[in-house]
Amino acid sequence: MSTLIEKHIVSLLAEKDDRAIALLYENYGDTLFGVAHKVVKDEDLAQDVLQESFIKIWKKADSYDPSKAKLFTWLFRITRNTAIDKLRSVNNKASKEVQIDVSDVYKVGVKGISPDHMDVQDNLDKLEEKYRIVLEALFFDGMTQQEASEELDIPLGTIKSRLKIGLRELGKFYGTTLALALVINLIP
Amino acid sequence: MREKINTFLASDLLEKYLLGETTKEESQQTERYIAMYPEVRGSYEELQRNLQIFAQQYAMPTPEGLKEIIISAAKKEKRHHYRFLRFAVAASVAIMLFATTSYFLWNQNKSLQEENVLVTNQIKYLESNMMNQLEDMRNQFIVLNNPDTRKVEVKGKEEGKDLKAIAYINPVKKLSYINLGKVPELPENKVFQMWAEVNGELVNLGVIKPLDDKDKLLALPYGEKAIGYITVEPKGGNKAPSVENIVANITF
Repeated sequence: MSTLIEKHIVSLLAEKDDRAIALLYENYGDTLFGVAHKVVKDEDLAQDVLQESFIKIWKKADSYDPSKAKLFTWLFRITRNTAIDKLRSVNNKASKEVQIDVSDVYKVGVKGISPDHMDVQDNLDKLEEKYRIVLEALFFDGMTQQEASEELDIPLGTIKSRLKIGLRELGKFYGTTLALALVINLIP
Repeated sequence: MREKINTFLASDLLEKYLLGETTKEESQQTERYIAMYPEVRGSYEELQRNLQIFAQQYAMPTPEGLKEIIISAAKKEKRHHYRFLRFAVAASVAIMLFATTSYFLWNQNKSLQEENVLVTNQIKYLESNMMNQLEDMRNQFIVLNNPDTRKVEVKGKEEGKDLKAIAYINPVKKLSYINLGKVPELPENKVFQMWAEVNGELVNLGVIKPLDDKDKLLALPYGEKAIGYITVEPKGGNKAPSVENIVANITF
């Protein structure tokens, strides 16, 4: 997304202009929905999470400080935390209610990825499994580094380095994809 | 400096901050490093970009109709917010009004309490004054009517030769009064002052004012073998009687 649109959304948010929500949804909705789905692993719950997150974003609009975080970082934090909270609250009731069929939900998620997202899906595939597992545990499962270390049976130091390297590798893929796209666009 | 930056970058503070998982102190420290060191700022920017890339890889098309639900919920929330704001403004005004009224009432109550204390004290003073006056009148009545009362005529000499007074002494009731019938005028710088020697102790009974009521009885301290004196003293009275200026004696 261009910085111009981001700036426009930020100024609309600051003014509590309704149009900000529509623009946020159009530009970040799919990614945030994917994040929510990745955490809660259920489409209905992910919808709830996205709705709650947008309301929180709307309520906290005037507290967003662009000097402290990019707009997406701020949106991601809110959505991720809302999703983790939702998952915890669902899990608290889980003993009394029907368990979520993870494998079934997973299929829905994979089917739901549109061709528009396939390029980035390719990037994800390129990212070595060992990095992806660590990033997902930390970003989507709400684990601390210590918890991830215990859960994945990987030393804490390795978790830290895989987080750093994994994030750096992603940048490289993105750079490559971007360069490729530019080259393709330049070919007559 | 470099070592400091490297240590910071090697720690996982920046990654934790990225996810909003730092404590308040850690956030402050991280924000300080981001603001101060371009290298840290660059790393943070890169982390943010990569986080977005990573998250985008999980993007899923949102279900149909969800956008409308969310927009409608946000608009509803906005209305709630404004309603709440209106309510908050109204509540603030009410609180202000209540606080002002409370302060006014408290203040009024305080001054009323102070006034009440003042009035109570005045009543107590008047009561005590009245009791003293009644007691005095009662004693005067006793002295004047009691057959045991001795009437002693006091005559002045020298400068006070025109002074005429009558002392009433009642040894049974142990009361004594004096009526200053005639107090001659003295030069402006002199006054008559009355004293009593009771049980070996000299008591100053004060300056005699010529304008006092002629029928007024002044109480004298009673004592066996007490002696009363009237002296001429400098204006304003004296602390001790000037023996050479005694113009009258009152023997009990």
